[in-house]
Amino acid sequence: MAALAAASSASPPASPGFVHGLGGGLLETAQTAGGMTLLLVRVVSRLVRLQFDRQELMRNLYKMGVKSIPIVIVTSLFTGGIMVIQAAPIVKRYAAQGLLGWAAGFGTLREIGPLLTALMLSGRVGANNTAELGTMVVTEQIDALRALAIDPISFLVTPRVIAFVTTLFLATLYADALALFGAAYAGYGLLDVEPRVFYNGLTSGLLTLSDVGVGLVKSVVFGVVMSLASCHFGLTVQGGAPGVGRAVNATVVASAASIFILDYFVSFSL
Amino acid sequence: MISFRNVKKSFGPKAVLKGVSFDVNDGEVFFIIGASGVGKSVLIKHLIGLLYPDDGEIFLDGEEVSRFDEERMYPVRKKCAMVFQHSTLFDSMSCVENVMLPLKKHKGMTDKEARDDALKRLKQVHMREFADRFPSELGDGMRKRVAIARALTLDPTYVLFDEPTTSLDPVSARRVDHLIRELSDTVGVTSIVVSHDLVSIFSIADRIVMLYQGQVKMLGTRDEFRSTPDPIIQQFINGRAEGPMET
Repeated sequence: MAALAAASSASPPASPGFVHGLGGGLLETAQTAGGMTLLLVRVVSRLVRLQFDRQELMRNLYKMGVKSIPIVIVTSLFTGGIMVIQAAPIVKRYAAQGLLGWAAGFGTLREIGPLLTALMLSGRVGANNTAELGTMVVTEQIDALRALAIDPISFLVTPRVIAFVTTLFLATLYADALALFGAAYAGYGLLDVEPRVFYNGLTSGLLTLSDVGVGLVKSVVFGVVMSLASCHFGLTVQGGAPGVGRAVNATVVASAASIFILDYFVSFSL
Repeated sequence: MISFRNVKKSFGPKAVLKGVSFDVNDGEVFFIIGASGVGKSVLIKHLIGLLYPDDGEIFLDGEEVSRFDEERMYPVRKKCAMVFQHSTLFDSMSCVENVMLPLKKHKGMTDKEARDDALKRLKQVHMREFADRFPSELGDGMRKRVAIARALTLDPTYVLFDEPTTSLDPVSARRVDHLIRELSDTVGVTSIVVSHDLVSIFSIADRIVMLYQGQVKMLGTRDEFRSTPDPIIQQFINGRAEGPMET
């Protein structure tokens, strides 16, 4: 027995690497989800009491919304064109020019418009949010705000969340229109489909306002999650400048992953 | 009056404050000195709820404030302003906007009223002509003066200065000293100053407390510090590399 015990104690213990890593990852995910939920509760409590800084809101709307217009224009126009290029072989084969408007519209309004706009803004606005808030944390500017008896959630976070959601909603609407415009003229250039025919395909009754609505609901859901993620990772930065870099990276990854996961669930439920 | 009673604070396994107790009287310029990392800044951050003690109590005008939540802490912070070591001006705002912010938030001033008031306050710290510059365009000393102007906007009864003269040139440092002394003498502001600057300490302090190894080593006046035979205190106030002091 003693020899058996000795042999058993002499054998190397099972490596804790995988289990340790899995547990650590789950804990980290739970911590992030919990942190974002708490932040959401705090933001909603300020929103209900209208406790947010109007000037910060305007500044963020300008920074996030107005400054994003050029990139939204370029990507949306080309996205519409790409939709037509992909549809061109089938349209030609079945001479289904009349369905081009419906095909481009269905994909753009329900899926491509909100998805690509959210991904673009996650890189441009979300990363910027995290970097700005993270830098304020490491340089003690958040503590300075608190020391001045100013609530950082009312002053910094709530205006950013409102501005982010508003920007993404409006940018999606704008991107939808531009992508369809791009698709119509790409259809005219590549398939000789008159814009009038494209427009008739859009409005023939196969597409309804609910298709636009689904895309806009997605944009709001994406906006809430992305803004909370960017603010959460920014406010929880630790470790100076490298910490800010890690937080920005975490925001971009978490936002992109959330967009696809949420897209699946919203598409499934609507 | 401010009272610290047996305040303890640890960060992980490292115990920084091991039971610190002392009182700060109204209207005095009170210095907290000690080696780097001894917990001086940590201690003053407890007073306005930027950190919470593991144990002990902190009284501000007779009220125990160390367990206040964030919302209850706001009146304490209005009464008790803080100037941070690295000024911590808001990068996205100009100097005058930094000073205007608390005026608009807490005094209900319009933009114009707040700007006029902020410009007056910047003039008092000789920063009027740099009002529309951004913090990144200014040197350390100038930023610190703007930070002092911002901290004083709410007319606090107490001001906490965290190393106000560190990284300043000697002239700017003495100007800051003069300002701290003047606040106490003319307005009756109580100043708690965390500092290593021996010139400041021995020119404007009413009383001094020295922290050593997480506890109060000595509390007294400038003369009492100069005359004490304690070798650790003598080593510190004379800035000697050799001696019994463990850092």
